[in-house]
Amino acid sequence: MTASTTSPATRRSRLGNRPERLALLFVLPALALVVVFRVVPLVWGLGYSFTNYDGINPPSFIGIDNYLRLTQDPTFIDSLVNMLILIATLPIWIALPLVLAILIHQGVPGGKLFRAVYFFPAVLSSVIIGAIFNMILRYDGSLNAMLKAFGFSAIDWLGNSNTALFSLIAVQLWSTFGMGVLIFLAGLSTVPSDMLEAAKLDGAKLLQTWWYVVIPSLRPIIEFAAVVTTIGMLTSMFGLIYVLTAGGPGTATTLPEYLIWLEQGKLNSPGYASAISMVLFLLMGGLAAIQIRIMSRNANL
Amino acid sequence: MSAVETREKRILWIIAVPMALLALSAVYPVFFAINAALKTRKDYVLNRFGVTLDPTFANFPQAWIQSHLSEYFLNSVAVTAGAVLLLLVVSSLSGFALAVLRFRGSKLVFTIILISLMIPVQVVLVPFYRTMIALDLVNTRIGLILAYTAFFLPFSVYLMTAFYARLPRELYEAAQIDGASLLQIWWSIMLPLGKPALITLGILNTLYCWNDVLISLLVLQDKRTLMVGIAALRGQYTTNVPLLAAGIVLAAAPIVLIYVVFQRQIVSGIAVGAVKG
Repeated sequence: MTASTTSPATRRSRLGNRPERLALLFVLPALALVVVFRVVPLVWGLGYSFTNYDGINPPSFIGIDNYLRLTQDPTFIDSLVNMLILIATLPIWIALPLVLAILIHQGVPGGKLFRAVYFFPAVLSSVIIGAIFNMILRYDGSLNAMLKAFGFSAIDWLGNSNTALFSLIAVQLWSTFGMGVLIFLAGLSTVPSDMLEAAKLDGAKLLQTWWYVVIPSLRPIIEFAAVVTTIGMLTSMFGLIYVLTAGGPGTATTLPEYLIWLEQGKLNSPGYASAISMVLFLLMGGLAAIQIRIMSRNANL
Repeated sequence: MSAVETREKRILWIIAVPMALLALSAVYPVFFAINAALKTRKDYVLNRFGVTLDPTFANFPQAWIQSHLSEYFLNSVAVTAGAVLLLLVVSSLSGFALAVLRFRGSKLVFTIILISLMIPVQVVLVPFYRTMIALDLVNTRIGLILAYTAFFLPFSVYLMTAFYARLPRELYEAAQIDGASLLQIWWSIMLPLGKPALITLGILNTLYCWNDVLISLLVLQDKRTLMVGIAALRGQYTTNVPLLAAGIVLAAAPIVLIYVVFQRQIVSGIAVGAVKG
């Protein structure tokens, strides 16, 4: 790695430098773990995606057949549509915590308490959240019991394919919006206070100042939140799906990341699962590249 | 106080009402779970959302012993402790090397570690599982510890590197002149100085490891972590909701406790990650 970027002369002098060799030793555990469990498997997975690997017999090369099969696979297409519906709700995921953060920053009574309480669901695991909301939302669950007690008719929140995806999205939004509040509050703390002083005028001007001053000055942090939230939508829903809806009814709450799990395990087709993995990786790639650029810029290296 | 300010104050008080309702909704599910756990099955069927008037504690020992939660609990504790310890040591070591020593190629190493951020476990599910099999790590706690370390490492390395980069270099140079070895400098200077960042990372990684279900499902198959155990319980006890709720309360208790005690560090840790990003 080092050698390829260095001329032989400097390399010799560098390698003669003892602290430097030790420094390499210091990063070795991190590098080894990341390479063995993530980087090499990524390349390996790309290879699998061009094979008919079934987990038992040795894989043989079948070209892009897995990818062609994806374009015909209704389950996969459903999972992509579900994913697009999920991503389409992104503005709510940004606007809700943004408004709450600005209000807390402007001194709503109890703001500090709200901040801590809003974040609370984010520390609970998706399994816990999924299991609790399953009890609440299932057909004979407590929400419907409550609705019936108030004279409404029950709704099959998780069992009806029209409501299941939105139930899933709502639960995930509920469990993560506090994280967004924290992120935006952190951003607001870096906005010059005289800018916000200007916002402390009367009602109509208050909203205008939000729109023209506060929100533009938060732009970098809003972009960051949008990228991180979208990545989360693509990769952090497994636990919740697994416990809340198991991808159903039918394919109503199946997202690509859950489909990969199904394909590799239940259906025993790791070659095909790898092809879905690569599609997910491509979808994420652009987003993550932006995130990494922001992060390495900020580490001052 | 001017009229404008009073008016604004009043608006903020009015806005606080829906915000308080939202806050209630954030804690309601936990209240729901505790309430359900205190009911008998009959109680629950008759009264699904009301507060129980005749609480029973029988569900807790039943969930703990009969449903093997105690065993899963120990697995989770062992794996989480091992992974967090490893994460802290590895990320502090590499943060020191990347930020302070800055050897040739350190930028490349840093980039590789950051790039691995965009390789979530789902993307490498199949080959990762094959790697675990090849290394004979499937069904072992040590395998899960290594997997957690590999998957939660990049952010930790990033944070430690950023943290150490802000320390004055003179510290390192003075220690070097005094003849301290690199390992000594790391152990007696870098590790203590990094304490605030290490505490934040310790708490965050504890949450991640304790709460994970996907990696654990994949690596441990006979042994179970607590979250996998709860997921299985949920499939098993569809009709015995109070027992499931008791299991949930027991599984969530340590995390709720950690949150109550370390709330400030958790909140600022997330904020640091955000502002740095």
